[in-house]
This record gives sequence, C-alpha cells and structure tokens, in this order.
Amino acid sequence: MAIQFILCFNKQGVVRLVRWYEMCNGGMNRNGNAVTNNNASDPSSPQDLIAQIYRLISARDHKHQSNFVEFSERTKLVYKRYAGLYFVMGIDLQDEEPIYLSHIHLFVEVLDAFFGNVCELDIVFNFYKTYMVLDEMFIGGEIQEVSKDMLLERLSTLDRLG
Amino acid sequence: MERKKSFITHNNNAASSNSSNIKGLQLFIADLRSTQQSEEQEKRIQAEIVKIKQHFNSKDHHDKLGGYQRKKYIAKLAYVYITSNTTKLNDILFGLDQTVELLKSNVFSEKLMGYMTLELLYEHRNVIEKINDKVEYQLNKDLVGNNDNFTSLALNFIGVVGLLSSQMGFNEELVSNVFQILRSPTSSQNLKKKSALAFLTLLKANPAILTEDSQRKQLWIQRITNLLDDTQNYRLTLTILPLVEFITRNIDPNCCTRLLPQLTQILYDCVVLGTSSSRVNQFPLEYKFANIPNPWLITKIVSLLSLMIMSPNESDTNVQNTAMLHTDNIEPEILNKLRSCVTEAIKLGTKACNDPMERIVQNTVLFSLINFASKLDPSPEAIKNSVVALCSLLSSPEINVRYLTLDSLVKLCSLSGKPAIDAVRYDNLNIILNLLKHERDASIIRKIVDLLYTFTDSDNVKLIVDQLLNFVTNSKHVNDPHIKSDIAVKIAILTEKYATDPNWFVIISLKILSLTTSSASFNDDEIWQRLCQIVVNNPYLQKITCEKLLDYLYENEVSESIIKTSAFLLGEYANQITDSVSIPELFNLFTDKYFIVSNLTKAMILTIMVKLYIFAPEIGSAVIKFLQLELNSLDIELQTRSFEYLKLIQLAKVNGGDINLLRTLFAPIPPFNTKANPLLKRLGSLPSTAGNTLAEATPPSSSSPLPSDTTASTTVLTPSNKMPPIAPVSRMNTQKTQEQYYSEQILSPNWKEGFVRMILHKQGILQSTPLIKIIYRITAPDPTQLSELRISLTFINQTEWDITGLSTEIIPHRIQDNPEYVITKKEIPSNASIQPQKRSEQSFELIVRKPFDVELSPILLVHFKCGGSVNVLKLKAAVGVTSTLGPNPQHVTELPEFIQRWKVLSSALGKDGECVIDGITLKRESSVLEDNVEDAVLLMKQTMKRVGFDIVEQGNVNNTIFASGIIHTKSDGNFGCLVKVKYQDNGKISITCKTTKAGPLATYIAECIRYTLMK
Repeated sequence: MAIQFILCFNKQGVVRLVRWYEMCNGGMNRNGNAVTNNNASDPSSPQDLIAQIYRLISARDHKHQSNFVEFSERTKLVYKRYAGLYFVMGIDLQDEEPIYLSHIHLFVEVLDAFFGNVCELDIVFNFYKTYMVLDEMFIGGEIQEVSKDMLLERLSTLDRLG
Repeated sequence: MERKKSFITHNNNAASSNSSNIKGLQLFIADLRSTQQSEEQEKRIQAEIVKIKQHFNSKDHHDKLGGYQRKKYIAKLAYVYITSNTTKLNDILFGLDQTVELLKSNVFSEKLMGYMTLELLYEHRNVIEKINDKVEYQLNKDLVGNNDNFTSLALNFIGVVGLLSSQMGFNEELVSNVFQILRSPTSSQNLKKKSALAFLTLLKANPAILTEDSQRKQLWIQRITNLLDDTQNYRLTLTILPLVEFITRNIDPNCCTRLLPQLTQILYDCVVLGTSSSRVNQFPLEYKFANIPNPWLITKIVSLLSLMIMSPNESDTNVQNTAMLHTDNIEPEILNKLRSCVTEAIKLGTKACNDPMERIVQNTVLFSLINFASKLDPSPEAIKNSVVALCSLLSSPEINVRYLTLDSLVKLCSLSGKPAIDAVRYDNLNIILNLLKHERDASIIRKIVDLLYTFTDSDNVKLIVDQLLNFVTNSKHVNDPHIKSDIAVKIAILTEKYATDPNWFVIISLKILSLTTSSASFNDDEIWQRLCQIVVNNPYLQKITCEKLLDYLYENEVSESIIKTSAFLLGEYANQITDSVSIPELFNLFTDKYFIVSNLTKAMILTIMVKLYIFAPEIGSAVIKFLQLELNSLDIELQTRSFEYLKLIQLAKVNGGDINLLRTLFAPIPPFNTKANPLLKRLGSLPSTAGNTLAEATPPSSSSPLPSDTTASTTVLTPSNKMPPIAPVSRMNTQKTQEQYYSEQILSPNWKEGFVRMILHKQGILQSTPLIKIIYRITAPDPTQLSELRISLTFINQTEWDITGLSTEIIPHRIQDNPEYVITKKEIPSNASIQPQKRSEQSFELIVRKPFDVELSPILLVHFKCGGSVNVLKLKAAVGVTSTLGPNPQHVTELPEFIQRWKVLSSALGKDGECVIDGITLKRESSVLEDNVEDAVLLMKQTMKRVGFDIVEQGNVNNTIFASGIIHTKSDGNFGCLVKVKYQDNGKISITCKTTKAGPLATYIAECIRYTLMK
C-alpha cells in the first residue's frame, strides 16, 4: 500500500528523476511470464524496468487512454504528461489509483512555484534541488506534506541555508 | 543557450534564489549539453573525473579541499551518474569516501548533497556494503544532534533508503533514535512527520522491531496511535495513518479499533462538514486541494477503515481475516456518520464541474468511499443507488472516469454480491458491451472483462462469451496480446462453469484454441489441457469433440493448440468416429501436420501414431516408415521416442501381431481427479472474493446439465470427502490473537482497588487519579434477566485543563467459540473532550453466558490527553458470577432449612460442587477492634449482603454467616449456591461454597467472596 517508485522522463525516454522506495526487481513485467515458473531467472535491472515503462507509456495515446496502466503482477502505473515530461508513479495493485494523480499534480505545482515556471532544464541543472523537493514531499513511499504553502516556505528556507 | 520552456503556464517569480547555485557544476552541465558528439562528451567526462581524482587524492590539497569544493565535485560525479543513466557507476565509485566525508559537514547544503548522492547510489548493493556502517554512524549522530535541519536530512535518508539497505532496520540504536523523535513531545511537527515515515520504512524492513518484545510492542503502538489525536490541520495525522495501517495489517489488528470514533469524526469533518457551503466549520483553505478538503487524508482514512471493518459478506467468504470490527457491533451513531459520508461523496462525485483537476479529485473521493460503502452493510437499496450513480458515469467523456467507474463496479459486484450484480447486469449490460466494442485503452478493456466476468452466469453466458470472442477475434482498437490471452482464459473458465449446452461448450472451447494462429503469444497450454481433462471425464463429450476437431484438421491453417488437443483426444477416442474418418486417413492428416509444428507437438504426434497403430494394425508399415525417418531427428527426445516406439511395434510384429504389450502401455487414460481448475490461478488481477461471491450467487444445480460433470473431479468430489472449509482455522487464529491481546495487557499499578470494589458494590469509584475520576454503576436493565448487565461509566475531569481525545476500548477475554460472556451495545463516550470538573459518560452491556473466573473480567482501556501529556489507564472492570446474583425465590431464611439443603447437595454431588478457601485475613476498618469476633462477623455479614447474598438470620452459631443465592447465566441456566463464611479462632476466615452444579462454579463464587473480605 505505497508508492514503489517515482519516475520522470522526457518524450525521448531520457530519465530526469528516479526514486526507488523498494528494491525494484520485486516487480516483473507481464512479458516475463516465465518468471512465475522460474524464479532463478535474472531479476530485471532498474534500467530495463525503466525502459519497459517508457515503452509502455510513450506508446499510449493520451487522448484515448486513461492515466492508469497495469505494469506487472504487483505494480500498476499512474502517470501524467506535462509538456515534454512524463511523471510516473508505480503503486501496489490494491491501491486506488486516482489519488496518485493528485500526488503528481501537487509535485509539479510545487516544482513550478519553487523554480518559477519550471521547465525540463531546471530539473537538469538543479537536479539536487529537485531531489530536495522530492524528499520534502515523499519519503517511505508516502506523501508527507500536502500544503503547498507549507512546502514552499520550508523549501525556500532550506534553499537559503547555504 | 537552450531556451527555457515552462511546462506549466504560470507567471510566478522564481522562489529559488541563485545564491545556492553551484557555478562550476552549472558550467560542467552546460558544457556537456553543448557537445553533440558522444565521443566528445565522453572525453569531457573522463577529463573531469581525472581532475576530481587529483583533487581527492592529492596529499597537499587534501587539507585544503574545502567543503564547497568537495560538494561541487560530488555534485559533478552525481550528475555523471545520472546523465549516464547509471552506467558510469564504476567510474565514480572512487568518490564514495569523499561523499561520506560530506555527510559530516556542518554546512546544510554540503550535507544535503552528501545524503542526496547516497540516496541515488544506495540502489546498488556494492555501494551499501562498502559504506553502510559509516553512514549509519553519521545518521545516528544527525538524529540525536540538536540541528533540526540535519535531523530532517537523516530522517529523509532513512525514509528513502531504509528498504534498500537490508541492515538499517536491524540497527537497534537507529531504530530507537527515530522512534524517540516520533514520541518526544518536544520534537517539531516537521520532524515528527518525517520520523513517522522513516519509522514505517524501518518497520517494513524489519517487523520484528515491534513483534519481538511484547511489552515494547504494546507501549510503542500505543504511543503511535495516540499521535493520531494530534490534529493541527491533520498534518501529523496524514503521516501517522500509513504507519497505523501497516501495524494493523501486519502486526496487530487490534491496535486501532478503539480509534474508530475518532477516525470517523475526521472523515465526517472532511467529507460532510468540509464540503458544505455553510460558513461554520470552514475547512482550512491551505489544506484544500482543487477545492476539496484534503483528499489525501480522506483516502488514507478510508483505506484504514476498510481494513478495520469487516463486511458481512467478507466474514462468510473469509478473506484475510485481519479486520476485527463487524458492522453489527459498530455503534449505530458511527455507522450512520460513515454512511452519510458515502452519500455526500456520491453527491459530490456526480456534481458538474469544469476544472479537470477538481473533477479528478471529486472522483477520487467518490470512488474511495463507494468502494468502502460495501463494508457498511448497506441495504439493497443503497447498493442499487451506488450502482446507478456509478453507471451514470460510464458515459463520461473522461477516460479516467470511465476506467475508475469500471474498477469500482468490479469491486462493488465482488463485495456486495447479488443486489449489485443484478442492478448492473439487468439495467446496464448493453452500455458495458458497447464500451467493449469502442474503448481503445487496454486498461479499460481489462476492467470491462473483469466486470463481465463477475456477473456472468448460466443465463447470460452465451451473450457475454460471444461478445468476448468477438473482441478477441475482431478488435482493432486494442492490440495488446496479453489482454487477448487473458480473455481467452476467462472465456474458457466461463464456458466450463456455466455452459448448459454440451455442443456449444465444445464449439466455443475449440474456437478459443483455434485462435492461436492469429496471435503467436497465445500459447496457453493450460486451456487445451483443461479441455482434455473435461472431455476425458465426460464420455458424452468425447465423440462430438473429436468430430469437431476433425473439421479443424481438414482446414489449411490450424493452430498448434488444436493439433495438440487432437493428438491427445483422437489418440484416445479415434475409434468413436470411424464412421466419419478412417484410421489411415487420420494417420495421413497427422503426417501432414507433423512438419509444421514444434518439437513438443511432434512428440505428441509420434505418440498418436502408435495409438492409431493399435486401433488399426494394418497401417503398421506406414507407421514404421514414418518412425524410421524420425530416427535421424536432430532432437534427442524425438529420436529416442521414435526409436522406442519403433522397437515396440517391431516386437509386436515379431510376436505375430500380438499387441497386448502396446495395449497395456497405452491403456485408455483414467479420469482426472484434479480438484481445482488450473486456469483459476490465471485470474491474477481480480478481487479475491469475486469467484466466491459468484459461486454463491448462482447455485450450480438445476438449470444446467453440465455443471457437476464438467468439473474434472466428478468422481472424487462427494460431500463426505470435500475439503473442510477454511473458516474454522482462521477463527482459531483470531481467537488466539484476542486471548493473546487480552493477556498482553499490563494493567495500571493500582487497578486492584477498583476491581475489588466492583465485586462488592453495584456502584462506586473504579479509579481516581489527579487527572480523572472514573465512576461505575452496574445495573440489570431487565429484572427478569439478571444475566444481562449494563455497566455505566462516568469520566470526571479533575483538573483545571481540558481533557481531550478521550477514547476507550473494552477488551473481553474471548470473543469467539462460545465465550463466557459477550459485550453488546457498546456506546462511545458522550464527549471526547471534557472541560474542567465536567463529565463524559459511556455505557456498555454485557451478557454472562456461562460461569467464569472473575479474573477474566473485561479489561477497560481509557486513553486521553490532558495538558500535553498522553495518558492510558488500563483497568479491569470486575464482572464476576456474583454480579448476576439474585434472591432465591424460595427464601432460605431458617438455619434448619439451610442445613437440610446443604446435606442434599453433599449427598448428590459430594465434593464436586464444593470449594473451600481457608486462612483469609479479614480486612478491617479502623473502627473495628482487633480480635473482636462480633465486629468481625458483623463486617462479614454486611459484606455478604452487599455482594447480593441472602443471609440466614440466626443466633445459634455466632462465628459463622450462612448465605444463599442464585447465579444467573444466559446459556447454561441458573444455579443455586450455599455459602458458609466462618470466623475461626485463629482470627482467619474460611469460606465454604456449594453449588447445585458440579465443576468450577463454586470456586468462582468463593474467589469473588474472598476478594471482598480479604485484607
């Protein structure tokens, strides 16, 4: 009952943000149905998983398809595209998806206010600040603060600490 | 320079100041981005790495390598790691020690960079192995240090990597440091929030943190649940909820049941009051999101409540039995509040609104509560209303809404059973089938199929299976082969379960198998294997199946599954269809197929060749030729198999055509006795109860001629050797936890005084502390039912401050398997907050079903907060057998009568119904003189009267009290008892009790009396 990972990549599949809250090889793609019979098979590496996720999501038509898609025997994805960037959360199958859209939206709003009209380059050049924002919002696979004002106040304090 | 493009349209000023930027890093990144060629990039990176290595290694510079420089270099390495998509891990590992060095810095931004970099690198086991000890050492320093910002970095780090490192959860010092921050009243809100989630992470990594030591478990869980109370805009609550949910799910399902009223109130405040337009009770604006009061809090509370409350359906079907609350023992007031939350959410969710985000959040709340509604024992009416509300959303233009609606319908149908299923399938089947035709999203199709699957039965199976088949063969919108394969499995299960027409069953099953040609990934061996099992077990299917298979074999293109099925079934039953096809013709058919199939199927065809030979030895030479050819096969299995078969046939020929050996080796296959359909385990994504609910909703009897025959287990499954239902086992578990839970409670130090008082007096003080006073009153509301008791409690605030968060929990010794007493009609305290000198009241009713030891009386937990301190009182509310004492209808008032009855009991039961307790020192009030027999006897007499005994008034035996009474119990009936209490010469007291029933009852009574007399 938690976020397994948070991912952000652009339309070309270049990863801008990754956060695993648990060892990522717990989840297998449907393609790996041999896995259920054969536990000895190699666990997918994080990079393989990200590539699979990218292929799955970038192929989806965002006009005619929902923001939710089942990914593996234990993971489903909730994602949303903002301009050229996809924000993806992997969650447990029994979780209810829609609230995670709010997670993503709040995260993007906070990034936007913190950087001021945030764009992909802000995340590239200030990757460490982006992770700081991420950590102030999510730890242990759970959201820890939902007030935008509180978050921005805290972030700007931390940013000025030097 | 690249042009900056915002991905949200806004015009805010940057909140981030440039002062915290690292210039060297920015230049490095810009440099890398401007070089187009990957070779050049690689050169640039290697050059930088060499430079950084020099700085790190150089002895001269080492001392001078300032914090800022170190931060900059580590940042560059981190960027190299990120931008290379982690492939350059080994190139940057040399910087690990310097990164750890960075953690020790006293400058925030340097420490941040250190922790941030390690958060990324902890994904790799070799990194963890190298530095984890040093990192944990630094973490502990930062946790206990007095710089809050450092502590919060350490907590973040634990919350991020706690599950990645296998050791962190086992570092006792680390765990207790984190918990210390969580429980300390002086920690800031911010640190508490973080420590709650950091602790959750550690607990997930190592649940033994709480399970190993039962005293710590109790204490820590209590501290955690008390934090839910602390509602500064529910900031802390939001992070405590997942922790409590994890504990409830995995560690102790009882831990939060007492919080039900409080959780309900928070939910009600958000969903009902928070959304009302009235100005009173305005929900704080900053905690609204898209105009809805804190949707995160709502979903988290609902998730916890769903775990705690078990719906009537679930208790039958026995899913994970962790929930302890059943709807029938939840106070009606709470149930109503929860139900009104559902109603409000439906209103909210179906309200028109234009902002897309707002609509998503509205729906978040709607679906969360509708999914929860089935836990609240809804009326068929209420279920139908939910279905109507949901189905109206099926035509929503928003894809997400349609997806979630379907998801919700699937859950509703699985959990609420027939009323929901009927409402969906009778009124809305067409909409759903229509969606199946037009949706383009695999996720949605999956949900539609799940939904159709939940409510298919023998009435609509043909329609639904046709539509699904149609989808699999024709759909162009969705080209996900996995979905199609999943649907094929579902069709197979549905036809097997609900087909009423054997002909149709065979046609559909073979159609599924024939689909293989259209999609290569359709290799579901389980489907054809299952069909073979069914056909073997049901002789009347054998002929028609073989005939239909033959039709397929004559076609040009035929799927491999069909060939496999044919190889198996025609090999068994070819003799049944000889009027349609001759054996040599069959042989030719299979020879044709042989060269277009995989080796596995080839092996199967080799086997049918031999079987055909047994049916018609005249094809012998053709078979031998064929097998000889395969002796040269490259596949070792095919080679061996043809060699063996060849030898067998040659052996038969040598023996003058004696095929008895072959007949024995290829004897007809006996019926299968697999109990479960192997296909069912393929239904991964369905809610677990779906199958069960349906099985109950449609009795498998009457209408269909197939049902009992289609299960492969026909011959085995008789009622007598059915598997026993699983329910009793799990009940034992729950009961064990309940008894364990009861016995784990550590009572407040001075609990005994109130406990004894409760045996003696019908009302009085149960507990009095400087903070709170608790008064009890025991009554029997119905004078004709003395075994039914009402216990009223009054809580009085003895301080000058407010008492808040008052909640209670009543823990009976046992709750299942014929318990001695049951607690019914539990109310919650009339007020959760008590002003100084004011009171709050609560009562519960208790039915004594059988005699029991007063030691097993219910335990009462009282939680409250006062002046910043969190308090728990754990008391035992004495309810003994003597609490049900009533007067004997035939009063024993004369001593001779008493003696007469005493003798009757002695001769009837002997020592069986008797208990003697000796050597009790009488408690004396100060006014009573030592060794004064008269005073002592008077006190004893008063005590016995107070407890409720009838006293025999007599003047003959001065040192003894003779008393009698009737004990009332609900299930075991009423029992008479006679008691002699004697003041002995040595100043001690002895109690002798006799009852009209053998067994421990006399002991139970004597024990109660002893408590009241004893010093």
